[in-house]
Amino acid sequence: MSKPRSELHLILTGVARDPLGLMGLIIVGTIVFCALFASWITPHDPIGMNIQDRLQGPSLTYLLGTDQLGRDTFSRVIAGGQVALKVALPAVFGAMTIGLTLGMIAGYGPKWLDNLLMLFFDTIRSFPTVMFALAVVALVGPSLQTVVLVVMATSIPTYGRVARTQTLTLRNSEFILAERSMGASMARILGVHMLPNIVGVLAVLAAMDIPTVIALEAGLSFLGLGVKPPTPSWGALLKDGYSLIRQTPWLVVGGGLPIILATLGFTFLGESLRDVVDPKLRKQR
Amino acid sequence: MSDSLLEIDRLSVDYETARGDLKALRDITFDVKKGEIVGIVGESGCGKSTLISSILRLTAPNTRFREGEVRFKGQDLLTLPERKMRDLRGADISIVFQDPMQTHNPVLSVGRQMVDIQHRSSASRADKRRRAAQMLGAVGIPDPEARLDQFPHEFSGGMRQRIAIAMALISEPSLLIADEPTTALDATLEVQVIERLRELQQEYNCAILFISHHLGVIAELCDRVVVMYAGAVVESGEVREIFHNPKHPYTRRLIDCDPGHIKERARVLPTIPGEVPDLANLPQGCIFQDRCDQAMPRCAGDVPPLTTLKVGHQAACWLNQMEDPV
Amino acid sequence: MSLLEVNGLKTSYGNVNVLAGITFKVEPGETYALVGESGSGKTTVIRAIAGLAPAQEGSVLFDGQEIRGLSERAMRPLRKDMAMMFQDPTGSLSPRLTIRNLITEPYRIQGMKDRDLDAEAKRLLSLVNLPSHFADRYPYQLSGGQARRVGVARALALEPKLILADEPTAGLDVSVQGELLNLMNDLRERLGLAMVIITHNLNVVRHVADRMGIMYLGRLVEEGTTEAIFEEPRHPYTHCLLSANPEPDPDARLEWVSLIGEPPSLLNRPKGCEFRERCPFAKDFCHNTPTWQIEHGHGLRCLAPLS
Repeated sequence: MSKPRSELHLILTGVARDPLGLMGLIIVGTIVFCALFASWITPHDPIGMNIQDRLQGPSLTYLLGTDQLGRDTFSRVIAGGQVALKVALPAVFGAMTIGLTLGMIAGYGPKWLDNLLMLFFDTIRSFPTVMFALAVVALVGPSLQTVVLVVMATSIPTYGRVARTQTLTLRNSEFILAERSMGASMARILGVHMLPNIVGVLAVLAAMDIPTVIALEAGLSFLGLGVKPPTPSWGALLKDGYSLIRQTPWLVVGGGLPIILATLGFTFLGESLRDVVDPKLRKQR
Repeated sequence: MSDSLLEIDRLSVDYETARGDLKALRDITFDVKKGEIVGIVGESGCGKSTLISSILRLTAPNTRFREGEVRFKGQDLLTLPERKMRDLRGADISIVFQDPMQTHNPVLSVGRQMVDIQHRSSASRADKRRRAAQMLGAVGIPDPEARLDQFPHEFSGGMRQRIAIAMALISEPSLLIADEPTTALDATLEVQVIERLRELQQEYNCAILFISHHLGVIAELCDRVVVMYAGAVVESGEVREIFHNPKHPYTRRLIDCDPGHIKERARVLPTIPGEVPDLANLPQGCIFQDRCDQAMPRCAGDVPPLTTLKVGHQAACWLNQMEDPV
Repeated sequence: MSLLEVNGLKTSYGNVNVLAGITFKVEPGETYALVGESGSGKTTVIRAIAGLAPAQEGSVLFDGQEIRGLSERAMRPLRKDMAMMFQDPTGSLSPRLTIRNLITEPYRIQGMKDRDLDAEAKRLLSLVNLPSHFADRYPYQLSGGQARRVGVARALALEPKLILADEPTAGLDVSVQGELLNLMNDLRERLGLAMVIITHNLNVVRHVADRMGIMYLGRLVEEGTTEAIFEEPRHPYTHCLLSANPEPDPDARLEWVSLIGEPPSLLNRPKGCEFRERCPFAKDFCHNTPTWQIEHGHGLRCLAPLS
């Protein structure tokens, strides 16, 4: 029997062993790296205009060309990645934390509380995301925070429901009964014993949710409801590219490619994570 | 050996794992004759499950058949095309699994499932249903006609296991593999099921390969016994020989451990200290030497072969091959 | 004073009466076995004692104190003196915790923060004959026998007066089963533990239990010392149970007395003697209801006992 290694190490080596997982890891790693060090990587100021060089094709100076105001598309793509992650990570993380907490309480707590929370989840779920976003933006105006808030609110029920189902399955298992027989409090049972067994499943869900959120942010920005110009965002790039498609195709490529890559990267990572986190599958490795 | 129904011949099976090849079965040799009940005894990790899945060829993808043959009616099953293998399973070779709560489809009535498994037969639906009812009656389910329309959850565990037996026997197989069929049942139901198996075996004259770790049940039901330890056969022979005159230290100590024959309340019950060796990293020599209280220098050298001591009794232990038995 | 006194304990889920009045006592240092078919309510009894299953009527006196219906909070300090063992050796261990954290869990729950938990873990592992490096392992890395010993170690952590054990040998190989029973026998003597043990393995009962109670449909039908019951069972149900015990000897003939039919539904309890319809020895007068009779410390609920 091998020495026990840390959970994270096991998961990472597991993901890296799977070709798709490795690809996902590389893509996601690159995106995160670019976002973190955007100010060092960007060759030009992403919002600095240079009217003489407007709508250029790719060249050594402008790797992906320029837009109608002469801003460097490559720099804007990199900076846009930062915006995308700034929306996606807090939104997904927030939704997961709140959904997890509420879901576990619904699954473990008394029946009336479960019913109440389920009603709450179903109510939120019945709002169409985009309509809800339109309404909120109309109320408080477009901003990064608004997008984060809207996305978070609408994805809480998904996490909540999964966490509740998992909790319901676990609550009758013998190890939970054993904890109760020792007098463990509800907080301890949920936090120490249930949580580590549920969080893996939700992390997978979150990894697969990130591209959806990035696309949603891009969509809202495309509609002009997301981040305000001149802040670079993939959606905004796509929107500009769309209106200027007859002059240059490069803006659409610049806005579209990273969305596709991010979607693929996070999805690969999520799928691979799912296989690795499932202990039944891991035992066979 | 013309009366042999199933012959396992020097079968060796590996699992390919990240830690290297796990030698799950090594040089397994035994046979089951027509109409005979052969018991396989062994504790966790002895390779019982690998053996069953190898006979049925329902193995995990990382399985490698390294050597040997599994002959059923003279035909090597390991080289048979998958289509022919499928024709055998559930027809001439049937199986009853351990957990009666999980072997039935919960959303179909028992009758429907029993009619469905007769899909190879050209009989009419009504005939198939009659046959199903007859089989239910044969395994002692009262009022079989009416109960055909009930669902698995409406039967108790013992009844479900008997239904599983009825379903396995409906095709009149020549070999029934029973994989710990009584382990999940209460003692009273356990006895009920083995009594029923014995009656049916006489009625249908099918051979049974009965896997169990319950020595009492083996002694009660079987004609011959194969004792397995850590992926190898350590002893095999007639049930009386094995229980009254065991020739392998593992068999001897396993029988000693069974509290069933210790009538007085014992302060200290016998055990076999130690653990089954790692099959991915086999020790040199005899597989049981670490836990054996009679181990000799020779045991660390070579693997003792399964040798015939007398007609109907074989054991794999160097103790039996000393020039002068002390 | 008895350590545990269960009196007329009743549990029902909706209109299903799982326990129809259970009464028994366990003295300090004594081992009491509950025996019966699945569905007879054995597991519910010990869960109801431990407050893990509801109990609508009756009383449970533990060390002289009424504990039925206590809140989690009020029950917590008492749990120091009462530990449980569950059927599934691996499944009753929280899968993401190390063995060290698992066996020291009782100290954390009881808020004993001043203890040196590493030292306690070492002490407990050696108590159950496991090497101390096992402390860093996870449950999935253990064999059934090892996981079972971890369960014993955890149950012993706070030196309880009573252990409630549900099928403690289930899922263990015969060669390991003896090891566990020896360990429990030894600890019981050294620490003066009392135990309530549930099992359907009669061979196990004979070697660990001082007294035993036989349950049928949520009631005790016979109770007495283990020797007396094995020697001379008086209730036909006990007789049938004991006869269904094939010996590991091909020449020993199984004198099995079969029960008739299947256990009746708890929703529809038979009138009169509830065992009558399955009893191979039933008489005409068995449609009357038998009462609980105690003779020389041997309890019986039967109108036509065997002699």
